[in-house]
Amino acid sequence: MANLTLDEWTARKESDRRFTENIRALKRIPPSEGRFAPFPDWIDSRLRAALEKDGIDRLYSHQAEALELVRQGRNVVLVTPTASGKTLCYNLPVLQRILEEPETRALYLFPTKALAQDQMHEVHGLINETGANIGTYTYDGDTPDDARQAIRRRGHVVVTNPDMLHAGILPHHTKWQKLFMNLRYVVIDELHVYRGVFGSHFANVIRRLSRICRFYGADPVFICCSATVANPKEHAERLLERSVELLDESGAPRAGRTFILYNPPIVNRELGIRQSALTPARNMATELIENNIQTIVFTTSRLNVEVLTKYLKDRFARGKPVDDDLVTGYRGGYLPNLRRRIEAGLRDRKVMGVVSTNALELGIDIGDLEACIMTGYPGSIAATWQQAGRAGRRQGHSLAVLIARSNPMDQYIAENPDYFFSRSPEHCRVNPDNLLILLHHLKSAAFELPFQRGERFGAENIEELLDYLEEKGVLHRVDDRWHWSAESYPADEISLRSINPENVVVVDTTDRSNHRIIAEVDWDSAFTSVHDEAIYMVESQQYHVDALDLERKKAYVRKVDVDYYTDAMTYTNVRVIDGFDQSRRDPVMVEHGEVQVVRKVVGYKKIKFYTSENVGYGDVNLPEKDLHTTSYWFTLPRAELDRLPWTRSEIIDGMSGLAYCLHHLAAMALMADIRDLDRCIGDKSGQWFMQKGGAGRSPAGKEGETGQSAPGEDDFDPTIFIFDAYPGGIGFSELLFERHDGLIQSARSLIESCPCEHGCPTCVGPTLEVGPAAKDVARAVLDLMGNRP
Amino acid sequence: MNVTDRLKRITGEAQNPAGGKPSVDAKRAAVVSDLRRRIDAIMERRPQRAEPSPERVFPEGRARDIVEVIDGLLLENDRGACFVSDGVLLGKEQYGKTTVAEMTRFVMDHLALLARDQRLAGFDPADALFLDTETTGLSGGTGTTAFLIGLGWFEGSSMITRQIFLRDFSDEAAGLSLLREIVGEKGFLVTFNGKAFDVGLLSTRFVMNRIVDPFGDVPHLDLLFPSRRLLGHRLDNCRLGTLEEEILTFRRHGDVPGYEIPARYFEWLRRRDGELMRDVFEHNRLDLVSMAALAAHLSDLVDADRRDSREIEEDLLAAARLRLHRGDERGGQRMLEFIINDGSAGRTGTTVREAARELSLIHKRRGEWDEARGLWERMALQWPGDLFALEELAKWCEHRARDYGGAIELVERALDRDGMTQEERSALLHRRARLLRRCGRDQE
Repeated sequence: MANLTLDEWTARKESDRRFTENIRALKRIPPSEGRFAPFPDWIDSRLRAALEKDGIDRLYSHQAEALELVRQGRNVVLVTPTASGKTLCYNLPVLQRILEEPETRALYLFPTKALAQDQMHEVHGLINETGANIGTYTYDGDTPDDARQAIRRRGHVVVTNPDMLHAGILPHHTKWQKLFMNLRYVVIDELHVYRGVFGSHFANVIRRLSRICRFYGADPVFICCSATVANPKEHAERLLERSVELLDESGAPRAGRTFILYNPPIVNRELGIRQSALTPARNMATELIENNIQTIVFTTSRLNVEVLTKYLKDRFARGKPVDDDLVTGYRGGYLPNLRRRIEAGLRDRKVMGVVSTNALELGIDIGDLEACIMTGYPGSIAATWQQAGRAGRRQGHSLAVLIARSNPMDQYIAENPDYFFSRSPEHCRVNPDNLLILLHHLKSAAFELPFQRGERFGAENIEELLDYLEEKGVLHRVDDRWHWSAESYPADEISLRSINPENVVVVDTTDRSNHRIIAEVDWDSAFTSVHDEAIYMVESQQYHVDALDLERKKAYVRKVDVDYYTDAMTYTNVRVIDGFDQSRRDPVMVEHGEVQVVRKVVGYKKIKFYTSENVGYGDVNLPEKDLHTTSYWFTLPRAELDRLPWTRSEIIDGMSGLAYCLHHLAAMALMADIRDLDRCIGDKSGQWFMQKGGAGRSPAGKEGETGQSAPGEDDFDPTIFIFDAYPGGIGFSELLFERHDGLIQSARSLIESCPCEHGCPTCVGPTLEVGPAAKDVARAVLDLMGNRP
Repeated sequence: MNVTDRLKRITGEAQNPAGGKPSVDAKRAAVVSDLRRRIDAIMERRPQRAEPSPERVFPEGRARDIVEVIDGLLLENDRGACFVSDGVLLGKEQYGKTTVAEMTRFVMDHLALLARDQRLAGFDPADALFLDTETTGLSGGTGTTAFLIGLGWFEGSSMITRQIFLRDFSDEAAGLSLLREIVGEKGFLVTFNGKAFDVGLLSTRFVMNRIVDPFGDVPHLDLLFPSRRLLGHRLDNCRLGTLEEEILTFRRHGDVPGYEIPARYFEWLRRRDGELMRDVFEHNRLDLVSMAALAAHLSDLVDADRRDSREIEEDLLAAARLRLHRGDERGGQRMLEFIINDGSAGRTGTTVREAARELSLIHKRRGEWDEARGLWERMALQWPGDLFALEELAKWCEHRARDYGGAIELVERALDRDGMTQEERSALLHRRARLLRRCGRDQE
């Protein structure tokens, strides 16, 4: 049978009632004409010739506008879709200036090393064709020592990442004199990635960069690119702390695209269980690959990458010799050479299907894929469009399918297509003045240059912070200047991206005489993914973790072939340290403030492939992890709850369900990753908390014992905590406190409109986990909270 | 609420939280102090080195100003002021196995060889500027300051030391200005690990203070590299302290360990007690003198025309090899000949053998067969069964003298000896077989 084309396949699906009844929206995005502008006459003839050689004989209108603004010395942020030629918007003005004034220097910042490498090749190509002597170098952790000196002196364009700028360049700025004295342009790509914790760090790195530039008398122009978000200009101005011009009208022509919002059918109305999003993803991907249509499948977790890759590999291995590269996984944690091999395979179409987390969404060149299947809402509308953009960058028609999962966020999107297809309502948020983040960067900044009294560094009154650091003995003040006065190298004390900069390496011991490192896991994930007895998967090969050695930061694994995977169970306990503000919504007290969170992985579940049956439990003995952060919480008076017609444990189930719902809605409203926030039910003293997973939920004493006899139960005023999952908090808690009423309102509407009977993953969580009364209790608790519309 | 209060509350420093709340009970206090420890741990992830705290060594008492403790004075210039302490070591003063006067007599050609910089040969020992800094840390980067800059030079047979001390960070510009002046007056630098550390660090400090870096193209002998080459073979490590004890036979008493120095300075900044700095000045001064002694020692060691044999033969061999490595074949040859021919006691060991081997290869390369053969024969006689000598002689017999019988005899002598590796044996057997074939052909 002949292969179907993508259009034929799509048409066939559209006439298949069993498929169409699950479609919540089908949008045909028509191709659009381009708007063009001639090259400005000041463009160097060498650059023009080089571009014309590549078939570029005019500019898109947005490129011409960007060139003009940058030429005038204005900072710009470009918001244009994938494949709209944004790189020219910065490469042209930068190279032009270097050709005019060869001393000119530019700094390019990309969020990942891979992306930096990729963009480097592009600039390189352009430079080579001009025949000019312009040095472009990547400077990152992989740059050999002997090359570094040459880069510092001769690199016209230095391509790096924020982490390297933070720990490798700024603290050694005297060695980079030549760069800083002549720095005319700073290019920041993927600006929207710098939000939340990472963005808050990044804003401080930019503050430090600006200080160093001032010291050397430089005042560079910032050229930024961002995916579509609601507040690109505001976000850029918050990160850069200077005024920025917005360019968001793309002049690039656009190919047609079909976008389908697919909501898997409900398979058990009673329990509100929908078909797993992995099932239609697997089916669609199989059909597409069978028809020789190159397809990328995005999933939301590393585990799902491995599960889905295994399914697809099994499928295509059936009945024919195993073509191992036809379908492959791709995610962070794979070693670089494996990733490069997969990228090359995609380009030359040896790889027809790839299953990925978001690692690819950042624009690494993998050629033109035709279809993109998103298994689960990626967390923001911006990320969804970016993932969809992986298909059909240059060529004709393409297809993007978003398959909703059962959680509240996905279901909200699936059932409100207008919300999704209208302009992105999401905002990027950062809090550069988070005290811990600010303090870290103040230390680094003082290491780089002494602080002068009256100097500004962000919004806070830094004089008090400097006094504090002086008291701590790391700064020393003399003549109104604060000098770094400690032996340490403060930039090494923090990582911009995660709480703990350490990694755990995964060592394969299957071959006793030849131990191999097969992956790296960040410190925090190690506790849940490579604990003793866990099943860890790479490239859909299963490994059994024989031992996790936290001291040596190694997990020893060996290959196994079992029919289950493992899922870690954790408990969380929150203790209030102090309240910042409170507001009475009778009978509920709403507050936000500082809390101490203790988390511990206590065990794991074994889950069978395909059936998802729970086939066993095990204990895990790992140290507790502490987090001092900010939280938003509200407390219900016990007396009011006691009047409700349910048992106490049913009421607690209902509150857990409500917390589940609020957690998801809060993350969606804040454009935060669901993992940037966390939730807990307890009381404010931290004497009580809910255990998640395992033996079900019941109040537990703080030492972990369960049961009715635990002391102090009568004092239990149930409190729902939604807290920032970052030390010191990132400002989410205060925003949630302010939006309490709106949040409760949307929870109410989500729960009321959910068609399930007793609770489901869409509203209060799956019945099996939260108990049969959860939905009713949650509704009653919301009623009790008053404030009905 | 102000920032510091917020921070203090996070770290649990406040005894009474703001807002007039009642003071914390014991349990909560314990929780809070635990928390403070954790936050401190987050903020300062690096483990603290367990070291004796300076407070224990120096009980708080009346702080004595630096001028009361260290002999020196305040020096003012257009960039401010700093504290300067000058010292003189007279020529007759003994330092380990040598005197100061002997230190001043190093040979400039030797120094040029050690530094691999011919420009040094044009200078005089009095043009040398010894430099060593004490810093606020070892991590490098812009946040590390050299608070004590030790300088030294020769005047006549004496050594002068000048130590520039920053009483505070605000003295830095004045101190660097002074340093710049002195560097300008001298011809070349002598340091120990200064290329990797001191000079780079000072260059950074000049940039930070917007003063033109005087080091630019100044010739620089970093003693670390030649020390490693010449003496590393018999030392556990090549730290200056080790070289002092093992090579210069000088022992320090009550020296402040290097890792304690930054903490001492931070303590000085807090308490302004000159006593904290006394040992640091002395430590720095001794480093300078050691560098001068070490420079003289190394200069002496690479002398190609030595007439005495004070030195350890392995060191001389390393020196000969250094000369060869730097392309001075004649000088290297003279040193090898000295090692071989010097009649002093004990010169029968492996070093002489190594030297003879090295020298014979020089002759062989030049085609001086008589000299080469003389050495091989002497080696074969002195160390019967010396594989190298026998093999080289066999090669000589075979290829130069065409004396296959003689060659076979030599190979057989070599095969008689014990302790050969499998490869050595099979190479010899191979050679013998070939020689036997050749013999047979000749006889036909």
